Amino acid sequence: MNGIIYVIFIVSAMTITPSVFEYYTPSTMVEAVNLLEKYGDEAKLLAGGQSLIPLMKMRFASISHVIDISRIEEMDYIKEDSNRLSIGALTTVDELGSSVTIKNRYMIIKEAADQIADPLVRNMGTVGGNISHGDPANDLPAVMLSLDATFMVQGKNGGKEIKAEDFFVDSLITALEPNEILYEIRVPKMVKRQGGAYIKHKKSAGDFSVAAVASNIIVDGDGKIIKVGVALTSVGPTPIKSTRAEGILAGKKLTEELAAEAARSITEESDPVSDFYGSIDYKKKVLRFIIKESLVAAYKRAKEAQ
Amino acid sequence: MITGQKFVEGKGTYVDDINLPGMLYMAIVRSPYSRAKIASLKGGLNSSDYEGRMASVGEGGSGEINIYSEPVFAQGYTSYLGQPVAAVFGEDRYKAEDLLNSVDVEYEPLKPVMEIDAALKADPIHPGTKNNILIDKWVGKEFKDTSSPIVLEDSFYNRRVATNPMEPRGVVATYDGNRLTMWASSQSSQSIKEGLVEAMNLSPDSVRVIQADTGGGFGLKGGLHPEYVIAAHAAMKYKRPVKWIETRSEHLSSSNPGRGARADIKIFAGKNGIINGVTGEVYVDAGAYGGFGEFAPRFIAYQLTGPYAIPNGYVRAIATLTNKVPQGPYRGAGRPEASYFIERMVDLLADELKMDPADVRIANMSSEPFKSPLGLEIGAAKPFFQDALKEFEYGKRFTSDTAGLGFFVLVPGIGPGEGARIKIEKGRVKVWLGGDTAGQGHQEFVRTLIREELGIASDLVELQLGDTDAVKRGVGAWGSRSAITAGAAVIAASGKIKDMVIKDFGDYSPENALSGSYDIDHFEEMKGTLNSFGANIAVADVSPLGAIRVKDCWSYYDVGRVLSKESVWGQIMGGIVQGIGQVVSEEIAYSDEGELLTGSIADSGVLSADQVPNFVVKVAENRSDLPHGVKGLGEAPTIGVPSALVRSIEKVTGKRIRDTPVRPEDIAEDF
Ligand SMILES: Cc1cc2nc3c(=O)[nH]c(=O)nc-3n(C[C@H](O)[C@H](O)[C@H](O)COP(=O)(O)OP(=O)(O)OC[C@H]3O[C@@H](n4cnc5c(N)ncnc54)[C@H](O)[C@@H]3O)c2cc1C
Repeated sequence: MNGIIYVIFIVSAMTITPSVFEYYTPSTMVEAVNLLEKYGDEAKLLAGGQSLIPLMKMRFASISHVIDISRIEEMDYIKEDSNRLSIGALTTVDELGSSVTIKNRYMIIKEAADQIADPLVRNMGTVGGNISHGDPANDLPAVMLSLDATFMVQGKNGGKEIKAEDFFVDSLITALEPNEILYEIRVPKMVKRQGGAYIKHKKSAGDFSVAAVASNIIVDGDGKIIKVGVALTSVGPTPIKSTRAEGILAGKKLTEELAAEAARSITEESDPVSDFYGSIDYKKKVLRFIIKESLVAAYKRAKEAQ
Repeated sequence: MITGQKFVEGKGTYVDDINLPGMLYMAIVRSPYSRAKIASLKGGLNSSDYEGRMASVGEGGSGEINIYSEPVFAQGYTSYLGQPVAAVFGEDRYKAEDLLNSVDVEYEPLKPVMEIDAALKADPIHPGTKNNILIDKWVGKEFKDTSSPIVLEDSFYNRRVATNPMEPRGVVATYDGNRLTMWASSQSSQSIKEGLVEAMNLSPDSVRVIQADTGGGFGLKGGLHPEYVIAAHAAMKYKRPVKWIETRSEHLSSSNPGRGARADIKIFAGKNGIINGVTGEVYVDAGAYGGFGEFAPRFIAYQLTGPYAIPNGYVRAIATLTNKVPQGPYRGAGRPEASYFIERMVDLLADELKMDPADVRIANMSSEPFKSPLGLEIGAAKPFFQDALKEFEYGKRFTSDTAGLGFFVLVPGIGPGEGARIKIEKGRVKVWLGGDTAGQGHQEFVRTLIREELGIASDLVELQLGDTDAVKRGVGAWGSRSAITAGAAVIAASGKIKDMVIKDFGDYSPENALSGSYDIDHFEEMKGTLNSFGANIAVADVSPLGAIRVKDCWSYYDVGRVLSKESVWGQIMGGIVQGIGQVVSEEIAYSDEGELLTGSIADSGVLSADQVPNFVVKVAENRSDLPHGVKGLGEAPTIGVPSALVRSIEKVTGKRIRDTPVRPEDIAEDF
């Protein structure tokens, strides 16, 4: 691996305990928002803790007020109505993967959820946490980008909607203000002839991806692509929504060659870094391979969903 | 009851379960740089308080302090990332870690020397030394070969691998004004004691080391570590017990990894595949200080002819100092490296001559015992290998198109023997061994031997944890040696007990023995070699992106007589997983600038269950000449699997493989 610039893993902290903090357990969203308002920058929400607790134990993050929202029942649900799928932010990753609604109609979400970490993490980690953490290696953000999801946010001064496209600002930075809470994820209801696939390339079960891709496709009665959303995981400072996919694929039937061409083009939109898991060239090779694979799978599912 | 049932049920007492009144918790301030000058240092316990160095003890240890011995605390400069700079002590673990911030260290980072080749050229990393060469010796006899038609050369690298036992390191130290007592997670309480005595200049009588239940060692827990000395020193200074438990991050940065060996090898051969000679250089990346690295290159060089009757051998054995944590023994400890190097060359020769790799191997085997020019003594290899091919159904079930074949000799560490103590009291038998079982389940072979030698039922026999007060002299559990050496000591001690029973009762019966009180502490002196053969077959699947899946892994090892089937099978399967790990993902890696790239257990590449293949375990039970007929076992799979698996990857991808772990990117298809 000559000539490769590595991402630095700083090992200054080798601890296993967090520093001292105050701990709160609000039972409603309003209470949680009030606490956030009160403690501002010194506070952090704790949902499943699967990202936050490791940071605290290694003392990468020192937080003086921890607001544990995991007991807020009103934020734990999966509902589908005539317009949309609504996922409460406190739905665990395991609940997401096990939901019958998701399994029957949102295969792309299930595929991503089932490949997140291991059962221990999935039992604790939440959908809201997975998205709010802003980690470009987390799997659900790309899925939500490909599905054109909307995030419902509540702050002291009321609620707002943030489009998935506008949410991910930089590595570990999102459009959420410190005093805001993400309470619901809204996904447009699956229509006829829509299919999606999430393909994750990882070293072994339980790992984060080297690269992953979410593809969401809607076709017409002839099998021509009407709408397509493609988003990438782990290959840039944020999850990346492709801006080229639509232009290459819309109005066409997907062939192997077209999928390969699209994969090559979409790969150019990525911005991976060389690290221990591979050089930039290798990661782009992975992308070319899995983007094509996911387009083909999503297209097949879309046609079969006729 | 299955071996280890109490551990599965959570009933073990590990060192972290030991809590003494008034105990302090220790946390260590470590160098965040691979190399830095310490411009200023304030706070904590540090080198201004304790200046000692440590002798290397345990497997491959010299037992002596020299200029390359590791200081307990960094003195003026740091030489590896994770090196202890200071220690702090708190009433509990949280408080101890809070106190890390109370130590003020100002570092001036220096350019680190990270690789063997760089070390050979760079200025010495330690002031006052001439260069970065820790050791440089030739093994074997110089020879000239101008007639062999085939001359092949290649270079290989087994990169560093963390030992990664499930339970990390840990100690509790306490001092009563006269004696220092240390509980440790351990493979050798005896070595740890020897090391403490030497490093701290204490009298042997004033130190006791007791083993706690130990959750894996793999080589790491047979020696002394700076943190142990610091804990001991603090316990004496503060007159309070001190506990230190390693975190996984500390383990990955600051504990001694294994492997880290490179070789440039040249073989001379005939067109019939017969190898006439081997030469080359073996380089070990010793890390920042001496210790195992002083021993490893010569040990690798000595085994470089493998199981083959190669008449000429001359090998240069070099260890270099780099700005990395000192290298240590890891399951196999030099044996896997040697086997990997020669097996890779034999496969290369097979390709050059378009011969089946099995045939090239047979061409180089003797039907007689053989002493190699490098000093290695082996038995008749050919009959065993032919049996192995039959067991594998080689040619039918597996062919050389996709399957990798590995053949090796296992050299167990026998000398100088081992200690065992047997105590019969109130109708029960207690046994202590000189080496500490770290999860292998030595209890099983001890019970088998006591049943056979003394006729006493297993449920009356309990193996005790290591304790330097209980056994006068002992060595350690490493080098595939325990069943051989500790087993022999148990048999000899049993014999002495038998004689005493006969003296007391006129004849021997288990009832007589159990009705009396007997206590025998015996050290069985052993030397010489007791080498055995093993073979592996592995078949890998490689995805277009270079992801490796091991489909099949078969082993056929001569383990001598099996004393406990469960233990033997457990050792083989666990070892195979580690052998695969070394090939597909396990590594401790740094950037050229000296940053650690593998700071989490996931990065360090430990396999997960989905990567474990179909095992087929077969053993040859060819008895040894020992009374209990056993041979070595524990390291066999980590010696045999890597070369077999790498060969399969090479065949499946069509790309020559030289280094471990194999990087996906190097074997991915081109598209
Ligand atoms: C070993 C391991 C492996 C993992 N592998 C993967 C993987 O392969 N793929 C993957 O996607 N993830 C992986 N993860 C991450 C895991 O899925 C996420 O940690 C989890 O989904 C985040 O949710 P959480 O509820 O645990 O968040 P927490 O850790 O509780 O919080 C994370 C962050 O989000 C904020 N937050 C949480 N909820 C909200 C909310 N409702 N509104 C606003 N802010 C909020 C918190 O303040 C915090 O900053 C892994 C984690 C571990 C420990």
